[in-house]
Amino acid sequence: MNVFVTPAMLAQVVVSGILSGALYAMVALGLALIFGVMRIINVAHGPLLMLGAYTTYFLYSALGLNPYLTVPVSMLALFAVGVLLERTLVFRVVDAPELSSLLLTFGISIALVNLAQLLFTSDLRSVEYLTGSWVVGPVALSKPRLVAFVFAGALTGLAFLFLRRTKLGKAIRATSQSREVAMVCGIDVQRIHLITFGLAAALAAAGGALIAMIVAIQPEMGQTWTFKSFLVIVLGGAGNYPGALLGGILLGLIEQVASLFLTTQLSEVVAYVLLVVVLLVRPTGLLGGRET
Amino acid sequence: MTTKALGAVIAAMAVLVGGLAAQAQGPIRIGASLSLTGTYAKLGRNQHEGYKLCEKDLNATGGLLGRKVEFVVYDDQSTPATAVRLYEKLITEDMVDGVMGPYSSPVTEASANVTEKYKKVMVAPLAATTSIFKRPPDKKRYYVFMVISPAEVYLEGLIDMAAKRGLKTVAVVNEDTLFSKAAAAGAVDIAKKKGMQVVFQEAYPKGNTDFAALLTKVKSLNPDVVAAATYFDDAVALTRQMRELDVSPKAYGVTVGGDLPEFYDTLKANAEYVYGATQWEHVLPYPGNHEFFGAYKKEFGHEPSYHSAAGYAGCLIYAEAVKRAGTLDADRVREQLLKLEMRTVFGDYKVDQDGFQVAHRMVTFQWQEGKKVVVWPDEMAPAKPRFPTPPWNQR
Repeated sequence: MNVFVTPAMLAQVVVSGILSGALYAMVALGLALIFGVMRIINVAHGPLLMLGAYTTYFLYSALGLNPYLTVPVSMLALFAVGVLLERTLVFRVVDAPELSSLLLTFGISIALVNLAQLLFTSDLRSVEYLTGSWVVGPVALSKPRLVAFVFAGALTGLAFLFLRRTKLGKAIRATSQSREVAMVCGIDVQRIHLITFGLAAALAAAGGALIAMIVAIQPEMGQTWTFKSFLVIVLGGAGNYPGALLGGILLGLIEQVASLFLTTQLSEVVAYVLLVVVLLVRPTGLLGGRET
Repeated sequence: MTTKALGAVIAAMAVLVGGLAAQAQGPIRIGASLSLTGTYAKLGRNQHEGYKLCEKDLNATGGLLGRKVEFVVYDDQSTPATAVRLYEKLITEDMVDGVMGPYSSPVTEASANVTEKYKKVMVAPLAATTSIFKRPPDKKRYYVFMVISPAEVYLEGLIDMAAKRGLKTVAVVNEDTLFSKAAAAGAVDIAKKKGMQVVFQEAYPKGNTDFAALLTKVKSLNPDVVAAATYFDDAVALTRQMRELDVSPKAYGVTVGGDLPEFYDTLKANAEYVYGATQWEHVLPYPGNHEFFGAYKKEFGHEPSYHSAAGYAGCLIYAEAVKRAGTLDADRVREQLLKLEMRTVFGDYKVDQDGFQVAHRMVTFQWQEGKKVVVWPDEMAPAKPRFPTPPWNQR
């Protein structure tokens, strides 16, 4: 029952891997930001993504908005949710032991999923907008995935520009390097935390909005994304932002190529074995941890 | 939520009062734990409504053994552990006269240990996993009875139709969970028996929605049939990506998920030609099926699903066995259930010595112009399948 792998097949899965990898990278960047700046592992990242997907769904089904136009709206809405969560809950655990922040965000995650089940029910929903694919030579490019790739690439690029070039972005990076020094330099660290959390939620929301057009939407769709984002930032180097990009693409490629040569089931094994190897051999991630 | 809590309190009080006043001529109380909240809530509630309608119909025709029938139902929140506790409570504290099965295979598997321990007959209308009933001799269960068809035959219709039309090669893919694995293994067996060649078989983890690599492999083998043992999310994702990657088998079918209206709502035209399997449809020519459909809709304000019909039928099957036994005694009811051959709104019932269902038949449908049209088995099919499925670019 072995399949003979041709170069065309390999090309197909490499392309598919890069397409999904960009989405992983964008979503994981949010997680990396929060970890870098606040030293908090946000388990509720996936559920925030789920809320972004629902925002897109409701805007699309109730108002008939073009789903791609809903991406910025979802981002804004979840930025607000992120800010609200930070202001009311998360700020309390910033300096607490790591377990506290894990427990808190885990609680938020459960609350969000159950709230969604209550408000939106567990019925499966979908945004059927763009289907089919463009065929380039031997490779079929899924239309919704390609557009999602372009969006994810652009948004990730914008996020990097923001971090590199703007004063606020520099303040965020400074806070991530050393909170005390940043504070001494006159940076309002509380405000930076607030913005970081909002930004991360917005990135998750963008992911959710784009994924909404690819898979079915339901309250429990987010959790796998929390895990994948973890994997990505550990691979790339926790707190290292370009690392998230590398980790994302890498995870997408590993999943697809391993599925091709082995099986879809074993591809997860490969990804997590790699995680363990990276943690053993290079615990700071492939690109090194955050700059100290 | 409050009304539900209130309902539970009232039910509990009714049980208490009923318990105190338990006389020979009091109602026959049948206990069940159902998934009224949690993951399976929607399906569990449909089953509950099936029980309720059965209770109503039984009482309208003089009850059972001359007594009224009354269901005592608790919510197990879709968790097997809770269901175990609830069956313990139903049997030891509430002292119910009989029990009916919960929703789903995992919950039934757990609950059956309790009902076995107390030697209570349990007709389990919504457990499709063979291993609950077929067990090694030292672990045999004597009191649990199956109503629906097992997972292994879900894809039988698809394979049978394909074989009859001269198709030769099959690719089988499945989610790596209890039910889907059994459905896939069954499909492989049936295909081999019918002389078809299984050219590809692969499982994917639960929650997987990216099938690019898997489908790339399937495409390279160009099988005549793709048989997928799925739930909903993966069924939708597979279908979408088959179109994206232009995988065009002559017949393609899924198991669970394909029969939900949401499947078509989500995929629209891409769902056309897709085959699916179901335990029951309201259009099937079973005795009383049409009337059941009407009465259910009137009673609950929405259409029944197969879970509703199986619940309703399971309850009637238990009642029939009690009637024939003339007593609630578990061993005598068990004897009758083993002998019983019955045709209900849900189809045929007959079990072997393990309580394993052997008569009920799955039906296979095909999405045709937005409707599920039953196309298999021939004697029950009002229409022919649209065969073969044309390539994506010619639809």
